[in-house]
Amino acid sequence: MRKVSAAAIHLFLIMASVVSLFPFVWMLIGMTNSSSDIVKGKFSFGSELSTNINKLLDMTDLGGAFWNSAVIAVIGTVCTLILSSMAGFGFEIYRTKGKDRLFGILMLSMMMPFAAVMVPLFRMFSSMGMLNTPTAVILPTITTAFMIFFFMQNTKSFPRELLQAGRVDGLGEWRLFTHVYMPTMKPTYAAAAIITFMNYWNSFLWPLIALQTPDKKTLPLIVSSLASSYNPDYGMIMVAIVITTLPTVLIFFLLQKQFVQGMLGSVK
Amino acid sequence: MKKLLSVLLLVSMTASLLAACGSSKSSDSGQSGTGNEGGSASKKVVAWAWDPSFNGAALKIAEELYAKENPGFELEVVDMAKTDLEQKLNTNLASGVKEGLPDIILVNDPNIQKYVTAYPGTFADFTDKVDYSQFSPYKVDALTIDGKVYGVPFDIGVTGMFYRSDYLEQAGFKAEDLENITWDEYIEIGKVVKEKTGKYMSTINPNDEALTSILLQSGGSWYITPDNKGNFVDNPVMTETLRVYKAIADSGIAKPVTGWSEFVGSFNAGDVATVVSGVWQISSIMDAKDQSGKWRVAPIPRLNVEGAVNASNEGGSSWFVLEGSANKDLAIDFLAKTIGGSSEFYERFLKENGGVGSYIPSFSSEAYSQTPEFFGGQAIYTDFTKWSTEVPGISLGMYTQEAKDALKNELPNILNGSDLTQSLANIQKLFEQQVQ
Repeated sequence: MRKVSAAAIHLFLIMASVVSLFPFVWMLIGMTNSSSDIVKGKFSFGSELSTNINKLLDMTDLGGAFWNSAVIAVIGTVCTLILSSMAGFGFEIYRTKGKDRLFGILMLSMMMPFAAVMVPLFRMFSSMGMLNTPTAVILPTITTAFMIFFFMQNTKSFPRELLQAGRVDGLGEWRLFTHVYMPTMKPTYAAAAIITFMNYWNSFLWPLIALQTPDKKTLPLIVSSLASSYNPDYGMIMVAIVITTLPTVLIFFLLQKQFVQGMLGSVK
Repeated sequence: MKKLLSVLLLVSMTASLLAACGSSKSSDSGQSGTGNEGGSASKKVVAWAWDPSFNGAALKIAEELYAKENPGFELEVVDMAKTDLEQKLNTNLASGVKEGLPDIILVNDPNIQKYVTAYPGTFADFTDKVDYSQFSPYKVDALTIDGKVYGVPFDIGVTGMFYRSDYLEQAGFKAEDLENITWDEYIEIGKVVKEKTGKYMSTINPNDEALTSILLQSGGSWYITPDNKGNFVDNPVMTETLRVYKAIADSGIAKPVTGWSEFVGSFNAGDVATVVSGVWQISSIMDAKDQSGKWRVAPIPRLNVEGAVNASNEGGSSWFVLEGSANKDLAIDFLAKTIGGSSEFYERFLKENGGVGSYIPSFSSEAYSQTPEFFGGQAIYTDFTKWSTEVPGISLGMYTQEAKDALKNELPNILNGSDLTQSLANIQKLFEQQVQ
């Protein structure tokens, strides 16, 4: 009985991984084929890789877009981690009046669709003269209710005794945060970093609106404009998508161990 | 590893901060053409378009022609996806922020009325700037709102029935058998083709309304009336369109596809005998180099209703100038003298990018009478331009997209055999709910 169910579970897992890995394999195969081979459904490696890469480099400022994306994602992630973890720490550790109510309001903000705030946000950034800068892309999501919640939940398992011990040893609150809390919570930071990096790296709608000149475009904007031409060159698009996907995959594998730990709860 | 990462982070942060500081300056100069305060000395205009190898390339040809007479003229084309362009334009217009808007913008024909009506005073009036009698009437109709003409007509999507002559010959049909037929005859031919060659006659995509749009316009009708009401109930052309649509699906001559790439793949792989589509489809058909010489084009089949013709349109776009642009006059002059009145422009646009316009004086040119080997030496562009003068002019109205969405919602039910009168009433109701 047990053997049967184990086999069934394995079968299910194998099928699930095939389904989720297929797009990646398809993407890698696609980047080596010509556009018409791809629409015909050819499923083997071809010899068009260098042609596709050259066409892509010819048509777009790929390096520039990569740099723009990296600037936004890296600075955005670092700022988000610092601010959200401070907020999560504060919400969980300190007892203050009205904390729950404040947190409730914060959670409510998660319900607001971004499309609803886009026009006012656009006006705001325009009046501040900040449109068309990486800052304009980073600021609106520099902390999110979800990230604060994520840190708060993980802080629940953080041993208060450590804080008390630190206070007895004469550490100030700031140093407690940076020297005791932050090192202990590494897995949480890693998990949060992956999620935030991915969000910034893939963000589309707001960068589309806030960035105005071609030299400021991020990678997703480039991919979107390539894919929309009347006669799309799928081989070239596949190369662009692979390049766009790589950094998130890399970061995930770098932080994989911590990510899993972070998702299970930071402190064992 | 950790140290390396943190050093990398630090370096990229400082560098990007510097880049961000420098960028505010460069963006100011980059937008000199788009700003809305003075600066009339500038000879640079900025345009938004959505396909660098098609409409972006067309602008480059126009720039070259214009710069010959006007030295120092400069054009910057910003390309982005069509839906992205619309999103950006809508956000800018809805928020009243002019910063970042271009001088020239490409608009999809079904969106023209919506923009001009929803944002009055935003687009420049072209009425006396271009000789519109030189363009196909149906194209000018799309640009005319309340007696004023906005923008310059650009590419058209006059339709044809592309077909594989080898498959049809195998099934026993000659070119004459495909000239000026009705859709019912088309289906009969399709059955024979399917039986004798095993190939499908066409594709059908229940999530796409391209075919119904083509059928409707060929009957001189549209999803909405000129005063923007739903045109589904008590519209004989609509009823006939959906009857034909269902008949094609039921007859088994159509290969079901779910998306654009599957559609293109079906004819690139040689699975179908005909493709009813806009003239711009030529480039994807010619992608299958191994099928050279096997393709021909015939007029599309006709609906069985009063006034229906063997010609229609799928897609097309036009150029607009923003009223608030600092370089409005320059931008108008540029468009009017090139895309709005130069035969040379259209000849080059066809030769270099395969784009077909509706500028009548260019139709007699050598470029339009070429006989590509791929189509067995047929003078396809001469044929297409002839058909383009037969396309019934219709008002695309303000809510084409909403009406198409309402129809798409009901198409699967129609294909499953629900009562057509009831379905049309449902579509009309859904449409009215959407535009309220």
